[in-house]
Amino acid sequence: MVVLPKSSLSSAEVEHVARLARLGITPEEVVRYRDQLRHILDAIDALNRADTSAVPATAHPLEERNVMRDDRRESCLPAEAALKNAPTREDSYFKVKAIQE
Amino acid sequence: MNLFQRTIRDLHQMLIDREISSVELTESVLGQIEAVGEKTKAYLVVTRDLALRQARAADERLRANRDVRSLTGIPIALKDVLCVKDVVSTAGSQILNGFTPPYSATVVERLEAEGAVFLGKTNCDEFAMGSSNENSGYWPVHNPWTLDRVPGGSSGGSAAAVASGEAVAALGSDTGGSIRQPAALTGIVGLKPTYGRVSRYGLIAFASSLDQIGPMTRDVVDCALVLHTIAGHDRRDSTSSPRPVPDYLSTVRNGVKGMRLGVPREYFVAGMEPAVEQAIRDAIRLLEQQGASIEEVSLPHSDIALPAYYIIAPAEASSNLARYDGVRYGHQAEGARNLIEEYMLTRQQGFGAEVKRRIMLGTYALSSGYYDAYYLQAQKVRTLIIEDFKRAFEKVDALLGATSPTVAFPLGAKTQDPVAMYLNDIITIPANLGNVCGISVPCGLADGLPIGLQVIAPGFREDTALQVAYAFEAATDFRKLQSPLMRAAAA
Repeated sequence: MVVLPKSSLSSAEVEHVARLARLGITPEEVVRYRDQLRHILDAIDALNRADTSAVPATAHPLEERNVMRDDRRESCLPAEAALKNAPTREDSYFKVKAIQE
Repeated sequence: MNLFQRTIRDLHQMLIDREISSVELTESVLGQIEAVGEKTKAYLVVTRDLALRQARAADERLRANRDVRSLTGIPIALKDVLCVKDVVSTAGSQILNGFTPPYSATVVERLEAEGAVFLGKTNCDEFAMGSSNENSGYWPVHNPWTLDRVPGGSSGGSAAAVASGEAVAALGSDTGGSIRQPAALTGIVGLKPTYGRVSRYGLIAFASSLDQIGPMTRDVVDCALVLHTIAGHDRRDSTSSPRPVPDYLSTVRNGVKGMRLGVPREYFVAGMEPAVEQAIRDAIRLLEQQGASIEEVSLPHSDIALPAYYIIAPAEASSNLARYDGVRYGHQAEGARNLIEEYMLTRQQGFGAEVKRRIMLGTYALSSGYYDAYYLQAQKVRTLIIEDFKRAFEKVDALLGATSPTVAFPLGAKTQDPVAMYLNDIITIPANLGNVCGISVPCGLADGLPIGLQVIAPGFREDTALQVAYAFEAATDFRKLQSPLMRAAAA
């Protein structure tokens, strides 16, 4: 049986997770989400009740395997259609900020 | 009776008899949207011009008697998670405010090919995450039965639109109950198809191993009609099933005589309202009188379906929603010094509180050190849920239970307590994890608020679910119950 970590989720962990998810978060939100997530993780702890030592995981419910299509050239979205919602662009490119300053 | 109160079938007959035109019908529904839209707030966008253009085209088709189908000229609402080419589609999120998709969802194209009329995009919980529609990034929806109550969620706008006469039918999406629960809370019919039955191409993704699009309608036969139109293989969604689509209409009225129906004892959960339990027990007795044999069954892992869902769905969501980075579409924060900061600010400003909670929960469950304990364990529990259903369906043809343990609750009642909110989906979630199908059909009122009976059938047996639901509907008068907003218009 898998032993779940106790949900003593810390503020530092919340900040770490928000950073992993590229989610800006205020100090007040860190505390609020920490408390709410602790509560949610406590409820989720019930998962631990099931003995799954001999149970395979289900990642998806599909009957099909390796769905292929013919290797044939087909039309795709024109560049202008793909770019029409871009907040910032230059010519036919999405324009982004420098990754490093 | 006003046109907007009628079923698809009635209206179809009137259209082909030239009794009415699609433009008249569409104007009747648009008039009801104008009359009550401010009360329900069911729509985010009403596509009036598009609707009237489509209605005129449908009328030409009807006049020429060219390729007339059952949905030709019928006004339908679309949940905002469905992409419609060049029509603002936001999934109820500020991060997609103003986004106009460059292509339409497959279900949208199929409805277009039938000649259906699009009324607009219906409000929903942001990215379909919620059970009350209070997580909409725009405004909450009000239940047409009692305006200070929620319509359920996440397809609350679609449900309220159908229940108030602001649409003849609607499409919703269901990841953990988001079609069935709002259908139950607003007194309409809603069906979650088996995963793979309906193409997800062009559906703004929430949890990709669970999401399904399905119909929300006035009655069961309308539901069969719409499902028949949208179901079937789509080469643009490799997870859509190549299984042939049965002719649901030819079997829906076959009755339940000789059918074996199971009642999972675990579905009478703690906290279920007595009036709901009573209505479900009465419904079961009625189906027995219709000739079904009833037996109690057990789905022993039902109690851990909810926790498994609240790992799997947020985990998939945290990965799906990574695409909202302010680069290719949607909101982009101003004033960031570099790309990473722009991502962080864009997502901080664009996402609402529940979406952020689930992204963090999902990211946490997938993060190094916790993956096995949470995500892998939840996937194993999913296997146990699937096996529970398999064992039950060896003995019975379909399962019966409530759709929601409660009737519609007051706006604001659960917004401060995420765990209490999650409990709304306790009896709908297993069908998503177990990859079976389920339908909710009205089965009574408690203090003037609708109750839904849920019929769950094996994977790809939507025909069975519809057949049982119809047998119940036909033996009762509940389908004739209309929300006060709809009745007021008739008076």
